[in-house]
Amino acid sequence: MSAETPEPDITSRPHGRAARERMYRYVLLLCAALSILVTISIVALLARDAITFFTLVNPLDFFGGTEFLLSRNVYGLLPLLSGTLLVTVISALIALPTGVAAAVYLSEYASDRMRSVLKPGLEVLAGIPTVVYGIFALVYVTPFLRTIGLPVNTFNILSPSIMVGIMIIPMVSSLSEDAMSSVPDSLRRAGYGMGATKFEVTTGVVLPAAASGIFSSFILALSRAIGETMIVVVAAGSQPRMLNLAEPLQNLWQGFQPMTAAMVQINSADSVSQLGFSSMFAIGLTLFAITFLLNLVSNRIAARYREEYE
Amino acid sequence: MATTEPDVDWHGDDSSVNHLRGRAFEATCLAATAFGLVSVLLLLLFVANDAFRPLSADGGWLLTYAATVLAPLAALAVYYYRLDEPAGEVAYVTSGLPVVGVLLTGGFAVMFIELLSILEWFALVTSLVAAGGLIVAHGRLRPNAALERLVVLFGAPVVTVLGTPPAQFNWLVTDLAAALGVDFGLYHRVISLREVLLRLPYVPTNWLLLLGTLVAPLAVAGGVFIARRRDSRRAGFAVVGATLVGALAGLVTGPALGIGYGGWMLLVAFVALPVGIYVEGVVRRREGVRGLAFPVIAVLGVAVGSVVVDAAGFAGPDSWLDWGFLTSATSRTAADAGIYPAMVGSIMMIIVIVLATFPVGVGAAIYLEEYAPSEGPMGKFVTLVEINIGNLAGVPSVVYGLLGLALFIRIVQWPQGSIVVAGLAVGLLILPIVIISAQEAIRSVPDSFRQASYGMGATRWQTIRQVVLPEALPGILTGTILALGRAIGETAPLLMIGAAASVRLAPNGFFDVASMMPRQIYSWSSELEPAFRHGVLAAGVITLLAVLLVMNATAIVIRNRYQRE
Repeated sequence: MSAETPEPDITSRPHGRAARERMYRYVLLLCAALSILVTISIVALLARDAITFFTLVNPLDFFGGTEFLLSRNVYGLLPLLSGTLLVTVISALIALPTGVAAAVYLSEYASDRMRSVLKPGLEVLAGIPTVVYGIFALVYVTPFLRTIGLPVNTFNILSPSIMVGIMIIPMVSSLSEDAMSSVPDSLRRAGYGMGATKFEVTTGVVLPAAASGIFSSFILALSRAIGETMIVVVAAGSQPRMLNLAEPLQNLWQGFQPMTAAMVQINSADSVSQLGFSSMFAIGLTLFAITFLLNLVSNRIAARYREEYE
Repeated sequence: MATTEPDVDWHGDDSSVNHLRGRAFEATCLAATAFGLVSVLLLLLFVANDAFRPLSADGGWLLTYAATVLAPLAALAVYYYRLDEPAGEVAYVTSGLPVVGVLLTGGFAVMFIELLSILEWFALVTSLVAAGGLIVAHGRLRPNAALERLVVLFGAPVVTVLGTPPAQFNWLVTDLAAALGVDFGLYHRVISLREVLLRLPYVPTNWLLLLGTLVAPLAVAGGVFIARRRDSRRAGFAVVGATLVGALAGLVTGPALGIGYGGWMLLVAFVALPVGIYVEGVVRRREGVRGLAFPVIAVLGVAVGSVVVDAAGFAGPDSWLDWGFLTSATSRTAADAGIYPAMVGSIMMIIVIVLATFPVGVGAAIYLEEYAPSEGPMGKFVTLVEINIGNLAGVPSVVYGLLGLALFIRIVQWPQGSIVVAGLAVGLLILPIVIISAQEAIRSVPDSFRQASYGMGATRWQTIRQVVLPEALPGILTGTILALGRAIGETAPLLMIGAAASVRLAPNGFFDVASMMPRQIYSWSSELEPAFRHGVLAAGVITLLAVLLVMNATAIVIRNRYQRE
């Protein structure tokens, strides 16, 4: 800032700078808009073949059909849905209570040291490739179930479902823990002030206050279980089957073919008719719709609990 | 409440509170937390046992190595944990750095063997540098011609690297011209600087090219780093000189060791240089110097152990996961099966994924965090984009495979199961994860930094490029590496786009049909032979998990280093 230097012109802008700034803005906007394009192309491309499929197969026959046989061009969704339902229910039975209990421990009981070990540890569970879980199920868990005396077949729905359950524990636990830690401490203190024990505060104050967050984590975990592919492809077999409602336990020992596994099988089959090929897109679209809806609902609920305590 | 006399009745009972229920609840919760971890740990132990078969070794072999390697290292680890935590971190990094370096060396070696010759690498690097030079030079000479700069930005790579489109894309140009009503086609290709270099009548020998285009830039980068840290140009030059001399020594020592001068040079650049710089820093700071003992003792222990084992004639384990497994193709007989071509496929797929998702993902994150308006119609659009990204992250991977099949194979007509298709399908899958993690990293840059930059008169883009991005880079890198870890294990999209079940030859182009590690593992899982099921399969799983472990550990180290500040 010596006296002889001329006053720098700080008000004018170099020619073209505004244009450049605008350009960067639009390029970056394009990157962000690409995600919308991805969604649109998923819907459009899946719908294109699905519509071809539905012009040849009555949607009622598809959604209400109780038999799925590629070789005879019979496409009923219910057997595939049965497989998906079983996987979802069994894995939920494992993951939801375990995940919430883990979240309670991490958020309310764990020392900092314990948390710094257990939390990344749990996240590792979600990072293991799903094909590896499938191999665990096929090669190690199924024989183990046999040794403890369960009458499971080589391909059965139980062991992949257990693995799916373990895989989605971290989803439940980390989102539920977020919900529990965002419960304000004043609520806990009020509980203690009333003379409640830690157990009573946790179960009577924290859990109800975090309920919507926990619920949203449940839905997200279910959506993950529904869309899980490799575990069931490797270990659940390739036999579409209806649920046996007369003897519910029998279902566990048998192989099923969930929707995702059916898509993989159609795609890798040697000779598949044009109709069979487009049925894959119909199943894919159904799957996409279910998971997309569940995710939307989960986000909505999660947004609500965030509002509550901010 | 203002009463002074204690005339309030005590409504509780006088018995002490029962702790049993609370204790039981806490224990149950802890058990639930541990349940998943313990069961997966057990399964991993089973797999590792199948892959390495430690029990097939002589008892003496196991005892020797337990005494020379395991026991000293375990004692050291306990010592670091209890008494000297900084040394523990030094030990962790000095043991991990060579592993990452060796993996990088392996990656480059595979690239030179399978993908492009050293000459092609030289041409590529030179023309990329030329393109960068052109862009920078234009910015210096005509700093204000923004639109011209845009032309240079996209034109320079075309001139230097790509050239005009090759014949198979001619239809694009002719169709476009026909649509505009002109008869025009690029019937004669204009070749790029890269291709000119490839056709030079005289080229330097390979070792000189490798030294110039790979070792020298890394050496200079290390030299600049050291020169800045020690504030001494001499030190910087010493680093460069030492690296170059060390690399040149490979002309003699490399062939003698059986790794060739190329292998030696890569090891110098990727292992010796970073480890040297790190160790020098540790010694200079005098912090955690004892940690350096860990790798030294590990190497010494292995050396002593192997001498003892040789002398006593103990047989090692008959492990499935060995050098042969990593370097050979799959086979009908379990003993010969290997994972090499699939590994090359995975590496090439990762290259496609990085090129396709990193710029777009970071760009989208920058827009959403730095530009996005929160009101008006654009604000609504941005909210929609954000919700949509969150939802895309939850779309099942098999649906992305279906998208890849419909879009890239049936519409664009790229070859089924080719690496490009695989990379793009899996890339779309991890794009939302990259965007979300980059957003978090950018959000964590304090606003005061931006205000300071604006206060200096910087424009928004200048602020982003010079202030926000450098600050957010470690976070962005961490998130991207974690997302790539997810990508490398994805299998369902690969099945849908028809990646090869098993290939005998490694791919050598991005449009080649290839297999990838998880795809190969899936193929093995349908073999019924026990040797496959409990041997080859386990070895493949361990290889995949080891790659993942290294990637995740790298990401965590980056995060921890930069989070502290």
